[in-house]
Amino acid sequence: MIKSKLRSYIYEPVLTKEDIQSSKKRKGARASDWRKTLGRIWKIVDEQRALLIIILLMVVISSILSLLGPYLIGKIIDDHMIKKDFTGLKSMILVLIFVYIGLSISIFLQNYWMIGIAQQTVYRMRTGLFAKFQRLPIAFFDKRQHGELMSRMTNDMDNISSTLNSTFIQVFSSVITLVGTLVVMFSMSPLLTFLTMLIIPVMFVSTRWITRRTGKLFKTQQQALGSLNGMIEETISGQRVVKAFSQEQRMIDEFANKSSDLRRVGYWANVYSGAIPKTMNLLNNTSFAIVAGVGGILALKGYVSIGTIVVFSEYARQFTRPLNDLSNQFNNVLSAIAGAERVFTIMDEKEEQDQGKGELIREIRGDVTFEDVSFQYNLEEDIATIEHINFHVKKGQTVALVGATGAGKTTIMQLLARFYDPQQGRILIDDCPIQTISRQNLRSQMAFVLQEPFLFEATIKENIRYGRLQATDDDVVNAAKKANAHNFIMSLPNGYDTVLTADGGEISQGQRQLLSIARALVANPAILLLDEATSSIDTVTELEIQEALERLMEGRTSLVIAHRLNTIRKADLILVMEKGKLIESGEREKLIAKKGVFYQMLQQSTL
Amino acid sequence: MNTIFQYIKRYRLSIIIALMLMFVELAVELTQPLLIRKIIDEGIVVGESHTIWLWGSIMMLLALLAFLAGICNSFFAGYAAQNFAYDLRNALFKKVQSFTMATFLQFPSASLITRLTNDVTQVQQVFFMSLRIMLRAPLVVLGSLIMAFYVDASLAIYLCIGIPVLAVFMYMMVKKSIGNFALVQHKVDRVNRMIQENLQAMRLVKAYLRGLYEVSRFEKVASALKKDTSSALRLMEYIQPILLIVMNIAMLAILWFGAGQIQNGKTNIGDIAAIVNYTMRMTGSFSMFAFIITLFSRAKASATRMEEILLIKDGIEEVVLPTKIEAPYKKGEIVFENVSFKYPQTDRYVLKNISFSCKKGEKIAIMGATGSGKSTLLQLITKFYEVEEGRILVDGVDIKEWNLKNLRQSIGYVPQRSLLFTGTIFDNITWGKTKATKEEVIKATKQAQIYDSIMDFQNGYQTRVGQKGVNLSGGQKQRLSIARAILRKPEFLLFDDSTSALDVKTESALWKALEEEQATMLVVTQKIRTAKGADRIILLEDGVLSAFGTHKELIASSILYKKIAQSQMELGVKGDD
Repeated sequence: MIKSKLRSYIYEPVLTKEDIQSSKKRKGARASDWRKTLGRIWKIVDEQRALLIIILLMVVISSILSLLGPYLIGKIIDDHMIKKDFTGLKSMILVLIFVYIGLSISIFLQNYWMIGIAQQTVYRMRTGLFAKFQRLPIAFFDKRQHGELMSRMTNDMDNISSTLNSTFIQVFSSVITLVGTLVVMFSMSPLLTFLTMLIIPVMFVSTRWITRRTGKLFKTQQQALGSLNGMIEETISGQRVVKAFSQEQRMIDEFANKSSDLRRVGYWANVYSGAIPKTMNLLNNTSFAIVAGVGGILALKGYVSIGTIVVFSEYARQFTRPLNDLSNQFNNVLSAIAGAERVFTIMDEKEEQDQGKGELIREIRGDVTFEDVSFQYNLEEDIATIEHINFHVKKGQTVALVGATGAGKTTIMQLLARFYDPQQGRILIDDCPIQTISRQNLRSQMAFVLQEPFLFEATIKENIRYGRLQATDDDVVNAAKKANAHNFIMSLPNGYDTVLTADGGEISQGQRQLLSIARALVANPAILLLDEATSSIDTVTELEIQEALERLMEGRTSLVIAHRLNTIRKADLILVMEKGKLIESGEREKLIAKKGVFYQMLQQSTL
Repeated sequence: MNTIFQYIKRYRLSIIIALMLMFVELAVELTQPLLIRKIIDEGIVVGESHTIWLWGSIMMLLALLAFLAGICNSFFAGYAAQNFAYDLRNALFKKVQSFTMATFLQFPSASLITRLTNDVTQVQQVFFMSLRIMLRAPLVVLGSLIMAFYVDASLAIYLCIGIPVLAVFMYMMVKKSIGNFALVQHKVDRVNRMIQENLQAMRLVKAYLRGLYEVSRFEKVASALKKDTSSALRLMEYIQPILLIVMNIAMLAILWFGAGQIQNGKTNIGDIAAIVNYTMRMTGSFSMFAFIITLFSRAKASATRMEEILLIKDGIEEVVLPTKIEAPYKKGEIVFENVSFKYPQTDRYVLKNISFSCKKGEKIAIMGATGSGKSTLLQLITKFYEVEEGRILVDGVDIKEWNLKNLRQSIGYVPQRSLLFTGTIFDNITWGKTKATKEEVIKATKQAQIYDSIMDFQNGYQTRVGQKGVNLSGGQKQRLSIARAILRKPEFLLFDDSTSALDVKTESALWKALEEEQATMLVVTQKIRTAKGADRIILLEDGVLSAFGTHKELIASSILYKKIAQSQMELGVKGDD
């Protein structure tokens, strides 16, 4: 009955026999993984080597002082109190005061500086990861939940940070104490020292037994936390839909499910990692019993003096304490490694490749050619593919892409901006293959208005200036005026200094589009890509900004996607797409005269 | 803190068991020196091997007992801590789900995410630690103090001199550091926000080559976090050295005055040695103390942040409000009566004095300039925001009296931005109605004109939707979210400009297919074509309803409408109209 009662406090195990078996087999590989991960963290820590050395010095000083204190007190008791000779006691106590002050100061300084190093390391890893995000190809982000990636930046980093703060000093001072005690013990009795050290292999094996389990558990725990984070992010960003469909309860249930996964892993991680200090305690006691037992018998036979055993048993206890600390730290290190591994996996992802790296910034004229270009997003699941696309745009021309949704219009733009690279065919800009032009060079002369206008949590002014950071306030206002955004901006209480929030109600979707058009106007590019730039704007306003857009397109190569065929009536070239293929292309008048697909679309739109 | 304690209390039993097991361990640990003394004094010194074996084995047995107690403690402590965190997380999530949109917007989403994961973890860790080791340090200190007094009260009193000073000092430190750690968590929010923003805007950042700029912006946020974390942690580092100095000076005082007492013959050396020994034990535990204080302050800061959410009383949706209407008598009807609205914490009215009504099965188009309040009008019907002036009747009943769940159950809302979730296309369509059959799904997708596209995908309905639907075109996303809405067979369909990315042919097919649903439809649109297909049109101008009628009526009466219509005349084929 007790058993069944107890069972309700125990969760179903997370680890399977296979897990443990495989970790046994992978023993070598795993150890080298750990070494690699630790090595990489160390490399960042090591950047502050000078400070690190000073810290180590402080640790040595504090270790010596903390041994010196008790030694001097022992001397006071022996020399003064027992002998009842109190001359010189005052100066001894004075020395002790200095020792203790020194001890406090050295402890303070080592911790103070170590915090600096730890935080700097985490800072470097954080910014490194963030910079890495910027260099990764778009395709990388398509597959991953935002919240999951965010978790690596905060929750995983937190593990590393707290471990670095405490572990480093602990490990070092434990090693010093360990070596010191060992030397003293050895000088007293090599035999007993040997006996005491018998527990080390046992300690090693049992720690291995535990860490073989915790290593995997910590990793799973971080994964579970990441996936929970992903779910929270998604539900929160999609809150309107959750509410509109009254799916709150289901979301709560789903959350509880994921949350209970985390609970189960966390439980076992706690249980296993908690076993280490307890095992160490047991081993300590065993070691003491061995020393006392064997030592006692040896003493009876006269091999060692009784005094030696008494003092030695004290040292044996001291000997195991740092070992205990070390094994405790080992667990912390493992949880940090679990976090760091997740960070480094991303650091090792393949970046956007650039053949044209290092090339000088070159003026782009804006001749665009697609030669037999084919592309699919995901080779396993072919959604939104384009096939054998051929077209040529001369500098300064405006091209309109029309066709049903999902025909591949946006894909063409994304290829031109090199968010993705085509699997077949080539794209030429000014007769150069696009791969030979660096992304930097290419995008610096392009401006984009994306289908979904994204604005940052910043002021309106900063959001418009995003197109060109050097733009003056006047430039910003001018662009806003051209984009017909000035009036509504001025009607906001803080005007251009209004801070936008991610999902706030302060401005409408159409107004967001106006701002992103203003942003493109500020950029002053050679190639302009407008992807449904005006879809949420009312047509009267659109008509008003049409002129500005046309002026903007003048002299620049522009690619325009629009469902409202009015929007593109001045295009030089019209490309009609259907299911990823180019089915008609040519000048507007010619296409109308041809009475083909475009003509039909036009007909329908004016019915 | 009280609210959080409620969650701890639930696991009273396992906490008590865990603590008892910890006491067992502690008791064994404290008796050990006595046993060792016995082995040495009565065994080794006297040369009694029998005694050595006897007490040696007793000691081993006790050690084994402590070991077992320690292992069992892990189970109970783990159970309590993990369940506590689990309950807390779920409670927070549940609370967040019950927020009204207005409350929701008060918290940046990144901050909510931090509170639900990072903050919970902080508190949980401290809770687990306290069930295992935390109480040990205070107990050792207390035990040693009692023992010291027992040995010689006149000397032990020196140990107490420092205590009031230390108590005040520690109190101040804790108070200050809680504020500091709250600041740290706030900075974690900022970091989170910045990453979220960049992930969402990745294409934009890349298109405008702002990678380095973003990195430098992030560096500012990250270095603020570094600075605050460092100074919060560094403040805590004052505790240990100061505790050490005070304790060590007290010990030296004992030695000094003890020496005097020995001279007078009041005390013997053994007592002094014992008190010094106890003092050293206390000092040893103090470094643990500093650690505990740090953890506690951190946990307290996190707990406060969670309570901020848990304690919100206003701005909660009353989902379970008893519905007063069992069988609505005016099915499919929406009436606006003098509705005015402004967003919370703003002064500007977005909608002013709107009145109109629509009958069952009617299709109303809503048009108007950018920012004229079209989306807001729809969001009032779904009760995302509360109407303050005027009232809205749905099925003849004021929406304030509607059971929120029933109300929303009867509405199919298609938002302006198609929000899709991680999962397959099938998951996304059945998202609002998980029990839908395959046939229903096929029908809804056919109606939404997305069936053929789905069939063209290699994996059909099982195709995975990338993060927020990146692998789908704008129009595909819109049609998926339309399918999701009509699958529920709602009485009302609200389209918030959600056909903007559809080409003409697809759109007309969509409207035709929806006719059989007989739902009352409110359609925000920019396209005159769409408006023409509606029964009546609402024209909004700066939040005011400036015209309401059929296409023909509006063409005749409204200058603005005429202007809109003209703007959309296709110049080339004008004659065909």
